[in-house]
Amino acid sequence: MKKLFVAFLVLGLLMPLTASADNKIFPYKYFMDDLPNGLRLVTVPTDYPNIVALYIVVGTGSRNEIEPGKSGFAHLFEHLMFRGTEKTTPQQYNSALKRAGADSNAYTEDDRTVYHTVFSKEDFDQILSLEADRFQNLKVPVDLFKTETRAVLGEYNKNASSPTRKLYEVLRDTAFDAHTYKHTTMGYLRDVENMPNQYDYSLDFFKRYYRPEYTTIVVSGDIKHDNVLELVKKYWGNWQRGAYVPDIPTESVQKEERTAQVDWPQPTLPWIAVSYKAPAYSDEQKDKAALDLIGNLGFSPTSELYQRLVIKEQKVDVLAPDFEDHRDPYLVTIIARVKDAKDVAYVRSEIIKTIDSYKTQLVAKDKLDAVKSNLRYSFALSLDNSEAIAANLAPFIALRRTPETINKVYEIYSAITPEDLQAMAKKYFIPEHRTIVTLSQKEKPENATQK
Amino acid sequence: MLRRSKHALAFALIIASTVFAPMAEAGKAPNPMATVSLPNSSPLVTFRLLFNVGAASDPKGKEGLAALTASLLANGGSREMTYEQIVSAMYPMATGFNSQVDKEMTVFSGTTHVDNLPKYYQIISEMLLNPGWRADDFTRIREDALNYLKVSLRQANDEELGKEALYQFIYEAGHPYGHNNAGTIASLEKLTLDDVKQFYRDHYTQANVVVGLAGGYPKGFDEKVQRDFAARLPAGGAEKLGLPQPAKISGLEMQVIEKNTLGTAISFGFPLPVTRKDADWAALLVMQSYLGQHRSSSSYLYQRLREIRGLNYGDYAYIEYFPRGMFQFHPDPNLARQQQIFQVWIRPVEPKNGLFALRAGLYEVNKLMRDGMTEKDFEATRQFLSKFVNVLTKDQDAQLGYALDSRYYGIPSFTDYVRAQLAKLTLADVNRAIKKYLQADNLKIVVITKDAAGFKEAAVANKPSPISYTSPPPKEILEEDKLIESYKLNFNPSRVEIMPVEQVFQK
Repeated sequence: MKKLFVAFLVLGLLMPLTASADNKIFPYKYFMDDLPNGLRLVTVPTDYPNIVALYIVVGTGSRNEIEPGKSGFAHLFEHLMFRGTEKTTPQQYNSALKRAGADSNAYTEDDRTVYHTVFSKEDFDQILSLEADRFQNLKVPVDLFKTETRAVLGEYNKNASSPTRKLYEVLRDTAFDAHTYKHTTMGYLRDVENMPNQYDYSLDFFKRYYRPEYTTIVVSGDIKHDNVLELVKKYWGNWQRGAYVPDIPTESVQKEERTAQVDWPQPTLPWIAVSYKAPAYSDEQKDKAALDLIGNLGFSPTSELYQRLVIKEQKVDVLAPDFEDHRDPYLVTIIARVKDAKDVAYVRSEIIKTIDSYKTQLVAKDKLDAVKSNLRYSFALSLDNSEAIAANLAPFIALRRTPETINKVYEIYSAITPEDLQAMAKKYFIPEHRTIVTLSQKEKPENATQK
Repeated sequence: MLRRSKHALAFALIIASTVFAPMAEAGKAPNPMATVSLPNSSPLVTFRLLFNVGAASDPKGKEGLAALTASLLANGGSREMTYEQIVSAMYPMATGFNSQVDKEMTVFSGTTHVDNLPKYYQIISEMLLNPGWRADDFTRIREDALNYLKVSLRQANDEELGKEALYQFIYEAGHPYGHNNAGTIASLEKLTLDDVKQFYRDHYTQANVVVGLAGGYPKGFDEKVQRDFAARLPAGGAEKLGLPQPAKISGLEMQVIEKNTLGTAISFGFPLPVTRKDADWAALLVMQSYLGQHRSSSSYLYQRLREIRGLNYGDYAYIEYFPRGMFQFHPDPNLARQQQIFQVWIRPVEPKNGLFALRAGLYEVNKLMRDGMTEKDFEATRQFLSKFVNVLTKDQDAQLGYALDSRYYGIPSFTDYVRAQLAKLTLADVNRAIKKYLQADNLKIVVITKDAAGFKEAAVANKPSPISYTSPPPKEILEEDKLIESYKLNFNPSRVEIMPVEQVFQK
């Protein structure tokens, strides 16, 4: 569930010198510049001394893996970006980052790939130029490509001991038919194992998506806008615009409830995920925002159900809503870990009952206000250093390429009424649009009762 | 480098693990009601309320008691409020109250917006100073602790399992560090609410507490907190934690944990008689950063094992305890200890390359001992660390945490201290420290793998372990592979054991 925000509380408090003048939720004054090639720069000067955070957001992720057999490729590509260019070997790249005392890494999600580096301000020029070089001139020989695919397999293997990874893999695979949200960012194991044979596709992937029109550079910290803009023009101005637009399959309407059971080979507490098809991110419509609020009202630690199942009855030790913002319609999910297998059916039924209650009952205003307050303070508490500012911006940049979208979404949150919640509950919490996945330890053959 | 830290679910593990974490230096009487205050103009106020007591003070047979006590305080009701009421009151403020217990320290932490400071402080001070001790809270918290060991650690995270098992293997039963901070299954099953109350009475004292505060709190607020704690905690006396030396290691000793899992996870290490306050610490810090800076692609081991050979997702080295490293880029503060270990973490490899990966790790440590670092690598690493300390202390919670640790170790401000130590360091200092402290012959290894017997047999018999590649690396690497695949492993056969995963942390 994406965190939300309020400005008036923070304005003039968080960063008095940079707070923007009007009542916006995102409390910093920022600059937005578009280069002729389509590249966008967002600059957020802060008063935190010395440190600069550079977040390069590419609006491509596992959503863009439209060809069969290519799941996991956006993430593999994130790895390849550390494998050198015509001008700079990976060793030179690493030594330059090391000299700068930089903290550098990257991550991939459904809708975005984010390259992030945090370092001291005196190294800004050099690091920006190194980043520009790898985004424009990446060159990975086939042998290094193959070696890197094995590191990705290593990543799959280290994740594989976690039951929730598998739970989500099966949930997506069950809930979606056509859309690429069907697979996780990590991809299917079979595709990961076949990656060494996909060198040519990797060249296509780079040509398609590592282009200025897909990319936004976010810089926050101890910097001056004019200086940043000048350097971005210098190092990134000649990058060639592309023309590729992926044809992401549209998911058709789900017609009946779906279920799946994952048999886990190891001892585990049972997990249950109850999901409904849910709307895409929007900073104009109320749908997504309303379901965010319901998720918090119904399943956060302050909710009636959490207090009952986790604290009083003690039948569950994890209960949480999960509804990350997505470009396309996705899933709103309630996830729970149940302490005893015999309570799974009960917990499932209580989750559904809670969800259904929002269709018939109006939420009390004070409860709704508490959730709105939680979202505001969560945001205020999360912006306590330059890196946190850039990191919080990155997902929104991937969705709409502007910090302004945060302000707009907050306005929607604050305007939502109990009646809106009821209307959206009726619109989305439809049993035919539901997918339920459970995971539990595989029963031993001698007392097996299932298929 | 996929980092899905926001995944609702990493949660399950974190819940349980943050609950557990450390205390005061032996022989030194802590200053009664000590305070570390870092006032600034931020609208946020951060608390780190630290008690110099931890899992090393668990009574024999009551392992896990320090962690359970802290967890119950941070996740249970006060006399004034039930836990449900506390959760509901904190929710609109978007804040919480967390505990972390390590061997010698227990810390309670939370951050609030200054708007909510009076209300927040009222709640947490009652939680800490006037606990509710409700039986249903105790039942829930103890069950969380049991599930952390049984399910989260044993079954859902091979990497953390390997790292925690290594600590236990190195310190062994009998040493105050010789059990997991969370305890054992057997001890937790016996612990009672009375045990928790007794531990609280014995150790939650003025003599043990350090009040840490940072942020834009009103003037005098830190003194108020100090007065409240002084009025409501018993005075207590200086507690001396005398630690024996860890057991001597002769040859390679290994614990192979048998588990039905996809990869083979490897950790190895040995006790290190150096902590942050010691003269050789900065030299070892440089060594560790060069050999295996956490999650950094410039680390030497990462380059040799992952980048060149594609063996796994990453390979790192440590000279201080760093739990939860798979979820975070920087270590949590307030894990300070009198005794540390040197550790290499080899992330899961394909089982067919397991023995090769272990040999490669040992070979590289051995090579570093033989050749030392070069001037160039020394300078680059020193420069990195001098700047990287800014990144480590980039927010006020980290600044406060490091300040508390500096107080424990009796050193100046962490960033100043590290820079000053690095500035006077020479390559000769580092290479001398490498020769003096590193070990490739006498150390302990923990491996988690499916075919434990096969791994053990091949390792003890010193069978060659060639690596298989999808894409062969350059010739010089293939030549080096020949050395690695037959690198001699001098196992001490009487100290090689197979342990089914169900027995780890059992008793």
